[in-house]
Amino acid sequence: MSPTPAKPGGTRIPSRRTVLRGAFTAAVVTGTAGALFPLLDRDPAATARPAPAPGPGAGSGSRATAEEFAEMYRGREIWGTATVVPAGAPADDRVAVAAEPVTEIRIDGRPLHVMRRADGTYLSDVRHYESYPTLLETARAAVDELGTARLAPPAAHHM
Amino acid sequence: MYTRKNQRDLTRTEKRRLIDAILKLKRSGRYDDFVVMHREYYVMDTERRPRPAHMTSSFFPWHRQYLLEFEKALQRVDAGVSVPYWDWTQDNRPTSSLWAEDFLGGNGRSGDRRVTTGPFAYAAGNWSVGRGVTDEHYLTRNFGRPGSDPVSLPTKNDLARALKDPVYDTAPWNSVCTEGFRNRVEGWGIRGVRTVGLHNRVHQWVGGPMAGAASPEDPVFWLHHSFIDLLWDRWRKAHPKSAYRPGRKPASPGPDRDYVFGLDDAMPPWRVTPRKLLDHSKVYRYA
Repeated sequence: MSPTPAKPGGTRIPSRRTVLRGAFTAAVVTGTAGALFPLLDRDPAATARPAPAPGPGAGSGSRATAEEFAEMYRGREIWGTATVVPAGAPADDRVAVAAEPVTEIRIDGRPLHVMRRADGTYLSDVRHYESYPTLLETARAAVDELGTARLAPPAAHHM
Repeated sequence: MYTRKNQRDLTRTEKRRLIDAILKLKRSGRYDDFVVMHREYYVMDTERRPRPAHMTSSFFPWHRQYLLEFEKALQRVDAGVSVPYWDWTQDNRPTSSLWAEDFLGGNGRSGDRRVTTGPFAYAAGNWSVGRGVTDEHYLTRNFGRPGSDPVSLPTKNDLARALKDPVYDTAPWNSVCTEGFRNRVEGWGIRGVRTVGLHNRVHQWVGGPMAGAASPEDPVFWLHHSFIDLLWDRWRKAHPKSAYRPGRKPASPGPDRDYVFGLDDAMPPWRVTPRKLLDHSKVYRYA
């Protein structure tokens, strides 16, 4: 059940699906998710790139990129990554991170705060009452909601 | 004892007094404290900490107390005001008197979606937003978010379906419960089951801050939640034998139950239990 961690040098890189299967396993074990649906039922329009090789110091808990994109959407530059720590990390750590992968979205360079629901879908500070299966959809929905507005600069982002 | 009225039944004077009290609260800085508080207690159901406000059983009692606190703050400004409710199944058009010049002002203009009418228009000089989400300081709205992914307000039928559910809430007491009155009204979309509904859908429909993490920045928030609060009353009346769930905490609660507030669990920040909030008949009533 455990996905293969990315090897330094990137010879064997876990597919996004493999990594996500690992995340689901952890979620089932902890019972944080009451109802599970496929996290990604289709590929995002942006090409998912291979996970970067872990840097020095990445031990048993090496990270894998689950999703990565960079594109122009309605004149806005959107960028995002989701990284998941696959099985192999210490049990507690693995469960915590698998329940909430490290996610980052930027719109025109400014960070958008992203959260995750128990079914694995994402929501953001801008669209806070609706969630999306992928970070890319989350970012595009935030651009739709923002209209011509810009995100607050990072300093003001967290109150 | 005071009365919360349907917003469509407010007199001109009642509207003016409510708006004046809200503007005074804004000027004092207290209004923005409420915005921050909502954001602080909006905890996700993937987080490993207590979540009293959203994606949780105590969605109704937490917001009941939150509204009571806001109302108390308003009443310190003007003892004669209360928070009216917006029945969005009835007043479901942008031309409703709710959105008139003498009340909440209307939809955002095209382009930057800025609200330019009513007391909360930026140019009037009394209202600014931007508590950490966007860079803009003017209030925006985008009714129905026309375009590729439009939303409509919930209908009477949508509401009737939720009120019919005899169970208050079900395990795992979060945003993915397919059964139970609470999540039907809170309205989380569940893939393969149902789309975004009722409470959440109204936030989407208004758009601007209402759709985001600082939703109380648009004063319609309070009128929306006053109606949500009334729905809890309607449901209790329709199902007198149904109880708030979950009840007593089991000796060894599983992870599902750990961060959820049962009937006798004190909710932050007020340390009030859902049980204390079931009956509000000594404090206010709905007309």
